[in-house]
Amino acid sequence: MRINIVHRETWLHHTNPSVKLLLLLVLFVAVVFIHNPNVLINLTIGFFILFIAYTGYPLKYVMLFFLPFLFIFISTASSMILFGNGETTWFRWGVIHITEESFYRGVHLGFRALIFALLGLTFALTTRPVYLFYSLMQQLKLKPKYAYSFLAAVRLVPIMIEEFQTVHQALKVRGVADERGIRGKLELMKRYAIPLLSQSIRRAQRIAVAMEAKRFTNERKRTFYYEMKLSKYDVLFFLYVLIVTLIAYYLAIAHPYLLIKDVR
Amino acid sequence: MQTKGLKLADVLTTVVIAIVFGIVYKVWGPFYYFVKPFGLHLDQLIYGMWFIAATVAFLIIRKPWVALLAETAAASGEFIAGSEWGLEVLFYGLIQGLLAELVFAAFRYKRFDVFVVSLAAAASTIGSLVLDFYKGYIEQLAVWNLTLFIGARFIGAILIAGVFAYSLVKALEATGVTQMVRPASKEDYDSLER
Repeated sequence: MRINIVHRETWLHHTNPSVKLLLLLVLFVAVVFIHNPNVLINLTIGFFILFIAYTGYPLKYVMLFFLPFLFIFISTASSMILFGNGETTWFRWGVIHITEESFYRGVHLGFRALIFALLGLTFALTTRPVYLFYSLMQQLKLKPKYAYSFLAAVRLVPIMIEEFQTVHQALKVRGVADERGIRGKLELMKRYAIPLLSQSIRRAQRIAVAMEAKRFTNERKRTFYYEMKLSKYDVLFFLYVLIVTLIAYYLAIAHPYLLIKDVR
Repeated sequence: MQTKGLKLADVLTTVVIAIVFGIVYKVWGPFYYFVKPFGLHLDQLIYGMWFIAATVAFLIIRKPWVALLAETAAASGEFIAGSEWGLEVLFYGLIQGLLAELVFAAFRYKRFDVFVVSLAAAASTIGSLVLDFYKGYIEQLAVWNLTLFIGARFIGAILIAGVFAYSLVKALEATGVTQMVRPASKEDYDSLER
């Protein structure tokens, strides 16, 4: 994601996108298998520091990006806190049944969602899509036809947004009223989706024809405009993840915040 | 020239459609968690929007692997745009796309009616539930609450990614663009014979 906000490039921008993506995917799977909330809270702090300090955006924007995460935290945690199973009742009112177990499980889920969101946004803020797909082709051998299709599609996004605004204004000028409810929302979506999709399909066809006319082939032996390589920054990122994980486990054992060790 | 699998034009069209829905997926996030009233799982009724790329792309292009590619690409688009759910959308997209693809494959990619599309939407729902089971401990919800949760998600998925997706593509057919991307059908050849 490239937002036109002045930001500095940090070492995270210079890590190899494929390495960064793979490491994050490994972390994702690992986090799903962590059931100790103490470890999870420590990990959240570790990645929060990475997010605040090394995405390179001014603090007020970083905080703004962070705002929706709080909703995610609350909405993820609330269902489990209010309606989860558990033994030690804290509060009961009608169908709401808060227990000690469900409370900690809910908080655990909240932190888990927070980690995924932090890592995801850190990646999005420090990775240019162009570099990501060039790197995927070079390091992970993604077929060029997929990579360039993505790049072409990403390139079309600003045009789509412009078209969206055109449709929006056209509907407004013609006095089309917004309809309420889910049904109305879907009807509204259709009004926007039909012109956007049909135009996008036409454009995609034209681009494909142009690419083939210019002898785009699916050969593996290609030269690349951007040569993506591994560097010391990848080692640095790996070490950061490793050290944060080790500290998270050490602190969870040495100085736990919560006595509960497994939320299941 | 017949190449194996999807041609560049197919891939490009699929990915472009997917990116359109990737933006929808991103916008759907805030809508989803603002709709979320505590615990009654009304939000699950709109969850089905996140399955729609697979079904719409398949209905438009009608070729093998399109559903999987579209759903994965839409999830990637959502991810690159900075989704609130971050990394998990990649896994969800992959599984949801794969299960929808399996349904279309089970009908040998020959049926494009609302029933098969709804079945694909239901399959995607199962995929998302399996991941929720591992990630969200949903089995630990009280039974009535879990039933409501799963029921609402299935209904929403079938209505949005099934019925709505079908009607969307029907409307799109009227514009004529689908003629450009679909493989020639038996009827097309028959009309040549006449």
